[in-house]
Amino acid sequence: MISPTSFCLSWLLIVVAHAHAASLSIQSPRFTITSSDASQLRADTLSLTQKPEPLTLGPSDVLKLTFQITETGEGNGVQPHQTFLRFYDTVSGEEGIQPVRVTPGGKAKFELNMARPPLSLPPTTDRPLAVSLILGSFIHDPATFDLFDLSVPSSATPAPHPDKASFHPQPPIVHTFHPEQKVPPKVISAFFAALVFAPWAVLLGLWSQVGVRVPHLLSPRILPFTALLGAFEALLVWYWVDLRLGQVLLYAGILALPTIFAGKTALATTGEWRAGKQ
Amino acid sequence: MRFLRSALLSCLALLATVLAKSSSGDKVLVLLDPSLDKANYSIFFNGLEKRGYDLTFRAPKDASPAVAAYDVPNYAHVILFTPDTKCTSPTNPHPSHARLTRTVAYASDITPQSLVGLLSENTNLLITLSPKQTPLTSLATEFSLIPPPPGTPLVSHHPKREEPATLVPVDVAPSPMLAKGTAPVWFSGAPHALGNSPYLVPILRAPATSFAADSTDDSDAAVIVDAADKAGEGLWAGSQLGLVTGFQTFKNSRVIFAGSVDLFSDAYARKPLPDGIPSGNAQFVRDVAAWVFQENMVLRIDRTAHHRVNETEPPEMYTINDQIVYTAYISAYNPRTSSWKPYDGLTDLQLEFTMLDPHVRTALPPVAGEPGKYEVQFRAPDRHGVFKFVIGWRRKGYSFLHTSTTVPVVPPRHDEYPRFLSAAWPYYAGAISTSVGFFVFSALWLAGDVKGERKNLKNTKSE
Repeated sequence: MISPTSFCLSWLLIVVAHAHAASLSIQSPRFTITSSDASQLRADTLSLTQKPEPLTLGPSDVLKLTFQITETGEGNGVQPHQTFLRFYDTVSGEEGIQPVRVTPGGKAKFELNMARPPLSLPPTTDRPLAVSLILGSFIHDPATFDLFDLSVPSSATPAPHPDKASFHPQPPIVHTFHPEQKVPPKVISAFFAALVFAPWAVLLGLWSQVGVRVPHLLSPRILPFTALLGAFEALLVWYWVDLRLGQVLLYAGILALPTIFAGKTALATTGEWRAGKQ
Repeated sequence: MRFLRSALLSCLALLATVLAKSSSGDKVLVLLDPSLDKANYSIFFNGLEKRGYDLTFRAPKDASPAVAAYDVPNYAHVILFTPDTKCTSPTNPHPSHARLTRTVAYASDITPQSLVGLLSENTNLLITLSPKQTPLTSLATEFSLIPPPPGTPLVSHHPKREEPATLVPVDVAPSPMLAKGTAPVWFSGAPHALGNSPYLVPILRAPATSFAADSTDDSDAAVIVDAADKAGEGLWAGSQLGLVTGFQTFKNSRVIFAGSVDLFSDAYARKPLPDGIPSGNAQFVRDVAAWVFQENMVLRIDRTAHHRVNETEPPEMYTINDQIVYTAYISAYNPRTSSWKPYDGLTDLQLEFTMLDPHVRTALPPVAGEPGKYEVQFRAPDRHGVFKFVIGWRRKGYSFLHTSTTVPVVPPRHDEYPRFLSAAWPYYAGAISTSVGFFVFSALWLAGDVKGERKNLKNTKSE
């Protein structure tokens, strides 16, 4: 006969035992870092409550991680369905999942050789990767343990898709213009322009000595021709400032006819004067 | 009477277009596998009908209604709830295969090629996958999704819950296409890894603790490790996996690959999460459908304009070093009013002025106070040739904006150079001197006094 109290107690005990058996924990987690010449660089046991100083691996170093998975309380080693190490870059969001082989006794050993990094290691930068252990099982409660931060040499960036760049604002492009044409100082230009005009000063000076007389300037047979010559000069200045070639040819053609007749008259007149016929 | 009837019909048609919520049309063809019951997805389908969509249901092996007639799509959107439908209809029915293919098959108008053809005709697709290998799985690989080995559904032991490990509550990451604060959704189906195509739009990612496996017992742990060690394939695990992923094509048609048809089911929409709150499935699938049917995040360029500064009309050609003003008018589709509204929310629009390569790339900012107007002024490069104004704006989830306008840029004409250079003053002085000199000489020679000469002439004559 079992009394109701003892039945209750034993049932409670079973529940408690089941609850204990239902969760997973890890025992004696330990890591060692060895260099390529087998000398041990760092070794320590891991605390599950406090992360150690970040672990650093050189390009040829080897990280060894050992632990045992047990049922909480009982201490029996178990082999869960899922024993994954998660390498996570908290900034870029890159993640790598590496399954760890566990013996039926719950013993697990993981080796990370940086000379031959596994494919599951995500692309790395100079930031450390957060390493956590994910345990999952059909029988026991799942568990996650944050183990340590791991600094590994940065990997070569994977080649992006050729169209990837067009999905971000692209760097602005500023056209490099030809430099502005260099212009000498205006003083120098003005000096040489004055130099070009200088002969006029000489000419006018000499004329003032000689005395120029133009008695026929207003003669009706000379004046039209002189005026038309002046008009041609004005047309050329106008061409320089504003006109197009076609307009110039048109206006010059119009001017040419009276100029021919005026010129003939004027030259005939001067010819007569010079011949002394008058 | 006939006139009245036609008037009524056209009025109804107009009403239908007004009610249509999608920017690309409201006719939806739903291919429903005979093994699935329409009533199990009533929340999703009724929600679509309430929003103005016109749903037509059809089994995948039915020949009518056809998806397209004469290469013109009959529907604006196609939903493929056929996650297990195996192969296309038998072209060469062999006695031993005939029974297999007759049970579940597609009619001849549904092939991966025809689906891609629909996308290029601006028809949107909502495709559901499953752990089974089907023609749709191989279609997904063409869109840069990498499915896991056949028969490996998503498994997660986290968090602790009553449900089997293959029924996973998945947190919904915030995204502009989803309602803010969408609760986690129930998911059971196949995950997929994402290729590096930038045209993919991840919508729902797997939890970090989940993975793809076909085992049902802890003793299969070694199989998972072995699978991961296998070269090439590796393990489908972690938050890099996609569960629901969109893809936007060059033509702005959209396609969604969902790893599970149950995601859309009433059962999951009503099933509370492990912590007791209602699941987000109903809201999530509504938002997903709104995106894939081009209700949300749809933009277009209404028109563009360009002219010289201080002018209003576009010139026939630009001269190098001209100051050019370029304007683009952009609208966004508003599903509430079913209309296009000027949109000034783009802050990272860029304009390129290209001749083979971009010579100028500059920001095209919105004009304050004028919604939908984006304007920039820049100096044309001092290179002549045939240039293009190019806007090519691509952001994940939004419709792509692209426009290109060709304009010639020429060197200045002979009379467009500056006339009065200070460096040329001496030359101007020389030319003016010569001209004035010629005029003065002519006047003097014609009008001057030649008395002395005449005397000499007389003297020589008298001699």
